[in-house]
Amino acid sequence: MPEKRIVLKNCGVIDPRDINTYLGQDGFKALAKARTELTPEQVIAEIKGSGLRGRGGAGFPAGLKWELARNAPGTEKYVICNADEGEVGTFKDRYILGRDPFSLIEAMAIAGYAIGSQTGYIYLRAEYYYLLNLLQNAIAQAQEGGFLKGLVIEICEGAGFYVCGEETALMDSIEGRRGEVRFRPPFPPTQGLWGKPTIINNVETLINIPQIILNGAEWFNHIGTERSKGTKVFSISGDVERPGVYELVMGSPLRELVEELALARDVKLVQVGGAAGRVLPYQEIDTPLAFETVLGAGAVIVFNESRDVIDIVFRTMEFFAEECCGKCTPCRLGTEAMIEILAKFVQGSGSKEDLTVLEDTARMMQLTSLCGLGQTAPNAVVDTLQYFPDLYQARISKSEVP
Amino acid sequence: MITVQLNGSEVQGRPGMTILELAQENGIDIPTLCYRSELNPIGACRICSVEVEGARTLVASCHTPIAPGMAIHTHSPKVLQARKSIVELLLASHPDACLVCDKANLCELRKLAADLGVGLPRFRIRKRYYPLEDVSPYIVRDLTKCILCQRCVRACREIKKQDVFAIAYRGFDSKVVVDQDQPLDKEVCRDCDVCISFCPVGALTKREEALVPKKGIPLIMKG
Ligand SMILES: Cc1cc2nc3c(=O)[nH]c(=O)nc-3n(C[C@H](O)[C@H](O)[C@H](O)COP(=O)(O)O)c2cc1C
Ligand code: SF4
Ligand code: FES
Repeated sequence: MPEKRIVLKNCGVIDPRDINTYLGQDGFKALAKARTELTPEQVIAEIKGSGLRGRGGAGFPAGLKWELARNAPGTEKYVICNADEGEVGTFKDRYILGRDPFSLIEAMAIAGYAIGSQTGYIYLRAEYYYLLNLLQNAIAQAQEGGFLKGLVIEICEGAGFYVCGEETALMDSIEGRRGEVRFRPPFPPTQGLWGKPTIINNVETLINIPQIILNGAEWFNHIGTERSKGTKVFSISGDVERPGVYELVMGSPLRELVEELALARDVKLVQVGGAAGRVLPYQEIDTPLAFETVLGAGAVIVFNESRDVIDIVFRTMEFFAEECCGKCTPCRLGTEAMIEILAKFVQGSGSKEDLTVLEDTARMMQLTSLCGLGQTAPNAVVDTLQYFPDLYQARISKSEVP
Repeated sequence: MITVQLNGSEVQGRPGMTILELAQENGIDIPTLCYRSELNPIGACRICSVEVEGARTLVASCHTPIAPGMAIHTHSPKVLQARKSIVELLLASHPDACLVCDKANLCELRKLAADLGVGLPRFRIRKRYYPLEDVSPYIVRDLTKCILCQRCVRACREIKKQDVFAIAYRGFDSKVVVDQDQPLDKEVCRDCDVCISFCPVGALTKREEALVPKKGIPLIMKG
C-alpha cells in the first residue's frame, strides 16, 4: 500500500508562521462548514461515522468520546490536545506541530463547537519548549483572523514526566498538582479537568478532524482496514538508513515501512509502539500495522543482528521503573523486581525460578496496574519470552543446568 | 436497584455502590490495604482486585462501581494469583524486621500474607532504608516500613483537614514527606494521632507506646 498524506498534507507545504499560506490550502474551511452547515450533533455523527480512533496509543473511538462529553451535563467543558509525546521513539507529534500548527487549532475549534467548550489546552511536552513561540503565534493569528470566536486556547508546558502523558495524570498536572494517575471510572468525558467533562485527544487524532469534516465520513471510512480507518504517522528509528516520519495507510505491512522506506537491513527484531509496544521478531515482518494487530502510538524501533535482546528488554524496563509514578504497588515494585531479575539474565546468572517469577510478575502487572504504564511495562518481557526463549535459557547460570 | 452476578449468584445492589461494598453486604471478604471506609478511595495497592467478565484487566473493587449485568468473581484462581503476587512484592521490599517491630501481630501486611499463604518471597528487591524519624514528641516515623498506602496522607487531609503529609519523589523512590521532606516536628503536627491509627504497618507509632506489648490474635506465617 502506498504512502498517503492526510495528516501530513500541509507539512512542508505551508509556512507555519503565516496563516495566509494555511488559508491557501483550504485552511479553516472545515471549521466554517461545521459552524454554518452542521449542528454539533452532526459534527459528532460525522466523526463517529468516519471510524477515526485515537492515535495516542489506546485507539479509543474519537467520535464516541466527543459524544459522551457533549451529552455529559454541565456548561463548563474542556478540550485538551495531548502533545506530551513521551513514548520512547515517537517524534511524529513534534514534526506535525512544528510544520502545521494551524490544523491543530482548527481541529480544536471544531472540537469546542462539537462538545460545547470555550476553553482548550495544549499540553506541550516540556522538551518541546522551542515550539512554544510558534504555537502561540499561530493561536494569535487564528484569534486575530476571527476564527476562534470566544474559544480560548492555552498552552500548558509539560512536567517532564512520561506518565504525565497519561490522560488523568495530565489533567492533574494542568491543575497544578503532582502528575499522578486517577482511577477510572469516572472517565474524563464525564469528569475530567477540574471535575468537568473533558475530551483529550492526541495531536495526530485531531489533525485528521478538519479533513474528515471537509471530505466527509464516507471518504475517510474507505481508507484503511475494517477496524482501523485512515492513515497512521510512524516515527521510525534505530538501525535504519532513513529514520524519520512516514505516513502510511492503515494495514500496510511492517516490512514496507522498515525495509522499503527506512531501508533497514539484517533486522533482528522490531519494537512497534515504543517501550510500551510489542516486540516482533524478523519472521513477523509482514504483520500489517493496524489496531487489530500492532500499532500503539506509531513508534517503530528497529534492532539489527548486532543487538542483544535481553539487554534491550532490560533497558526498556529501566525506563519504566524510572517513569513510574509510584502510586500503585504492581508497577512501583513490579518494575523494580523485573530490573533485579533481568539484570541477572544480562550477566548470565539467571535461574529457572527467575523465569517463573518474571512470568508471574508480568501477568500480575498487566492485570492489576492502575494505568497503562504498568499494564504495558511487561510487554517486552512477555514477547521476548515467547519469541526468544532460547536466549533466556542460555543465560541461566551454568550451575543451574543439570 | 442493580442486579449483578457475584461469584455465581444473582444479587442486588444500589446505584453508585462499589463492588467492594456489595461484596461486604453479601458476606464476601475481599482483602484491602489502601482502602478505609472513612477515607476516599485511591486505588493504589490493587490488593482488592477482582475479575469482571469481559474486562481486559482485573478491576480494583474498592473504587469500581457496580453496573447492571456485571459478572464478578472475587476469588477466582486468576484473582488469587495476582493478589499473592502483589503481597509477595510488598514483602520482598519490606525490611525483615517483623520480630522486633512494634506493630507485631496487628500488622495488616502480615495478616494478608498469612491469609493468602504467601511465605518468603522468591526474589529479592531493593529496600528503601530511611533514618528513623523521632524528632516529634508525638509520632515516631519509620518510613523504611512504609508501604505507600497513603492512608496517613488522606486521614490527615480528609479527617483533620491538616494536610501535613504529601507524596514526593517518584516511582520506587516515592515517599510520604512533610513540607520539603523535613522530619516531622511539633511545628507542623499537633498530637491528634489520627494518622497513627490508620497506618496498616509499623511505620507510624505513638511515641509513648513504642515497645509496649500489643494485644491481638496471633498470626502464623506460612513459609
Ligand atoms: C503512561 C502513558 C503515557 C501516555 N503518553 C501519551 C502521550 O505522550 N501522548 C498521547 O497522545 N497519549 C499518551 N497516552 C495516552 C493517553 O492516556 C490518552 O489515551 C490519549 O491522549 C487519548 O487521545 P487519543 O484518543 O486521541 O489517542 C499515554 C498513556 C499512558 C498510559
Ligand atoms: S501503573 Fe505505574 S504509572 Fe500507572 S498508576 Fe501505577 S505506579 Fe503510576
Ligand atoms: S484496597 Fe482497593 S486498591 Fe487498595
